Amino acid sequence: MNTTLPALSRIGHANHCKRCLTGLPVSQTDMDAQRLALVFYCIGGLDLLGMIQDIPEVDRRAWKDWIWAQFTNGPSGSGFRPSPFMTGQATTDDLVVDQTTAYDAPHIIMTYTALLSLAILRDDFSQLNRQGVVEFIRRSQNDDGSFSTVPGRNESDLRTLYCAFAISSMLNDWSGIDIAKALRFVSSCRTYEGGYGQSPFCEAQGEVVALSQMSSRINLAIGGTTYIAVASLSLASSAMGGKEILTPEEKEETIHWLVSKQAVTGGFCGRTGKEADACYCFWCGAALKILGAGKFVDRYSMVEFLGRCQFKYGGIAKAPGESADPYHTYLSLAAISMYPPALDEGSVSPKVKQSWTSFSPLDPVLNAREETVDWIRRHVPQPSHR
Amino acid sequence: MSETKPLYSKRPEWSDVVPVEQYEIVNPVAPIFYSEQYKDATNYFRAITKMGEKSPRVLELTESIIRQNPAHYTAWQYRYETLCATNASLADELKLMDEIAIKHLKTYQVWHHRRLLLTTLRKPKPELEFIKKVLHEDTKNYHTWSYRQWLLAHFGADGASINKDGEEEYDLADLWEGELDFVDSMLNQDVRNNSAWHHRFFVVWGCGIREGEQDRERVFKRELIYVKQNISLAPNNPSAWNYLRGILKSTKTPLSSVSTFVLPYTRPRDPTASRDIVDLENPPPSEGADLPSVQAVEFLADILEEKGSESDINQAVELWKSLATELDTIRRKYWEHRIRDAHLKLKASK
Repeated sequence: MNTTLPALSRIGHANHCKRCLTGLPVSQTDMDAQRLALVFYCIGGLDLLGMIQDIPEVDRRAWKDWIWAQFTNGPSGSGFRPSPFMTGQATTDDLVVDQTTAYDAPHIIMTYTALLSLAILRDDFSQLNRQGVVEFIRRSQNDDGSFSTVPGRNESDLRTLYCAFAISSMLNDWSGIDIAKALRFVSSCRTYEGGYGQSPFCEAQGEVVALSQMSSRINLAIGGTTYIAVASLSLASSAMGGKEILTPEEKEETIHWLVSKQAVTGGFCGRTGKEADACYCFWCGAALKILGAGKFVDRYSMVEFLGRCQFKYGGIAKAPGESADPYHTYLSLAAISMYPPALDEGSVSPKVKQSWTSFSPLDPVLNAREETVDWIRRHVPQPSHR
Repeated sequence: MSETKPLYSKRPEWSDVVPVEQYEIVNPVAPIFYSEQYKDATNYFRAITKMGEKSPRVLELTESIIRQNPAHYTAWQYRYETLCATNASLADELKLMDEIAIKHLKTYQVWHHRRLLLTTLRKPKPELEFIKKVLHEDTKNYHTWSYRQWLLAHFGADGASINKDGEEEYDLADLWEGELDFVDSMLNQDVRNNSAWHHRFFVVWGCGIREGEQDRERVFKRELIYVKQNISLAPNNPSAWNYLRGILKSTKTPLSSVSTFVLPYTRPRDPTASRDIVDLENPPPSEGADLPSVQAVEFLADILEEKGSESDINQAVELWKSLATELDTIRRKYWEHRIRDAHLKLKASK
C-alpha cells in the first residue's frame, strides 16, 4: 500500500470554517443571497470534525440566534431567508425589524440548511412555526410537480424538490406536497445515461449547479442532481411505506453511471468526461450509499485524492492546487465520514490513520451525522407527529 | 461602469428616497464586508421595494446591483417586474443581457432572466447564434446547453410558432434546421464533449420527430454510423459509447446487434489486420488507438450477459476479471459484484 498519504489537517480545516463564520471579504459579495447555506457548510464542517462541542457556548448561542433571526412568517408561509440582505432596519426604532415586503420571503434551500444547522447546534425548535413551513412548501410547488426557490418565482429544478422532500421528512409531515406529481417531475429528469439532469432534457450530472458559481471560489451548490434525485426517491419511498420507486434495471443503470464517475485520480467527476472535483466524492458517494452500492467506492484512492485537495492554509479545495472554500471542505469531510479508509498501521503512522478515520457515521439521505438526524426526528416534528 | 458613478446617496435625482439600511443582529454570523457602492445601492433598493416604485431609474439601480452581485435574485426579480410595469423594450434588455451573460456564464439568474425575456419576445432563432457564441467561451457550460434545450423544446414543439391570433411568428422548421450540423461542429472541436453528445440525443431522440426525420429506421442507421465512426476515431471516449448504448436502448435493439463492430476494440491491436477494406458498418479502431478500450470490454461483457447462455456468461466473467485486475482496477469491487451477480443468475436459471 502507498505510504504517501498525508494527515488530514483537521485543525486547519476547522480553522477555515471558523474564519469564514467570523466574516467574509468583499470578494464574497455574491454570497449575500445564500449566506445561510455557507453558514451551514461551516457549522457542518466543524460538526463532522467533532469540534462543535469545543466552540464556547456563547458563540453557539450567537449562531443559533442569527439563524433564527432569518426565520420569517409572511404571506408565502414561513421559513428561513438567506440572510438579512433584503431586510430593512426600521427607521424609527433600531430594534424593530421591518419584515413587511414580499421581497424578504423565505427560500426553500435556505430553510433546509437552516434546519440542519440548528439541529447540529441541538436547538429545541420551540420557535419553529411548523404549520407555516408546511404552508410555504405547499405554495412553492408548481403545476409540473417541481418546486420554486421562492413561491411565485418560476426558477425551479431538482435541488428545490429535494429540499422540499427533506424538510417534509424532518417535519414528518408531507401534507404540503403532491408526491405523485413531484415524482413524475423526477422521472422526467432521468437521462439516457442513467443519471439525472437538473430539469427535463438536461444532461446527467453528479453535481450541482450552484445557486451562483461566478468566478467566486466559494461555489455554493446544494445540488448534485443525481444524488438529489436518488435521495429524493429514497425520502419519498420512506414516506410511502418503503415502496420501491426505481425498477431493478434502472437502479443498476444508475449505480453503473455513478461508479463510472470515479476517475483514475481517485476523485469523482460530476459528468461523463469531466475532471474530478472533491464535492462529487460526496454527491456520487452518497448516492451510491443510498442505493446500497457504497462497497464499490475505492476508498483509499478517494481519500488520497482528497488529501491532495487540502489547501496549505486550511480547508479543502475542489481540486489539487486550487483554493479552499467551506462548500468543498464540508462535502469532502462528509465523503470521508461515509468512506473512512481502512488504513494499515504498517504503512501509515497512527496519527495519520486517526486523522482520516475519527469520524462518526453520516446519514447520506439528509446529509447529516446520524446523531443529528436522530435529534431531528425527536425535535423537529410537531409533538403529535413524532 | 457603474462603479465610477457617484453613490446614490450623493445624487440629487434620488434625494426623494430615504435609504433603508440592512438590518443585522448584534452578533452576525459570516458577515460580508461590503463595498461602499454595494451598501449604498442596496440601501436604495430596499427602500424602493418597500415603496413599490417601478420606474426607469429602478432599472438603472438594479443593473448596478446585478453587476456587483449577479446572484442577487431579488434584484433580478424586481428588475423583471419593473421592465413589465414600465413597458420597457425587452429587445434592448436582451442586448444588455448579451454582455452581462458572457461575464457571468455560471450564474443561474442570468439564464433564468433570459428565459423570461424570450418567453415574451418569442424570437428564438437569433438566440441559437448567441448560444453558439457563448459556447465558444465555455464549451461545456451546463446553463448554456440547458438554455439551448429549453429554447428548442419551448419554441420548437408542434404549433409553438403560431401565436394566439393564429399567425405564424417564426419558421419552425428553420429553427431546427441547423441543429445537427451545430452538434457535429461541436463534436468536431472536441469529440469528448459529453454535453454535445447529450444534445445530439436530445435533438434526435428526445424532443419529438420532425419533418425529414420520420423514417426512424433510416435515422437509426445514420446515428449508428455516426457514433461508430466517432468511436473509431477515439475508442476510449465514454461519451460516445454511452450514446451508442442510449440509441440501442431507446430503439429496443439488442446490444448484440453491434458485436462485430465492438470486438476489435476489446483486443490489443492486430498488426496483420488489413485496413484496405472499408466496412462502413464496422469501422475499425484508428491507427495508434490505445487498445483494448475499457468501454468496449465492458460493452462486450454486457452483450454476452444479455445473450445469457452458460458459455456466454463464462466469457463475460473473463472480461470482468480482466477489468477488475488489469484494465479498470479502481472499479475492482464493482466488477467482482458483476461476476457474483451473473453466477447467481446462472445458478437460479438451472
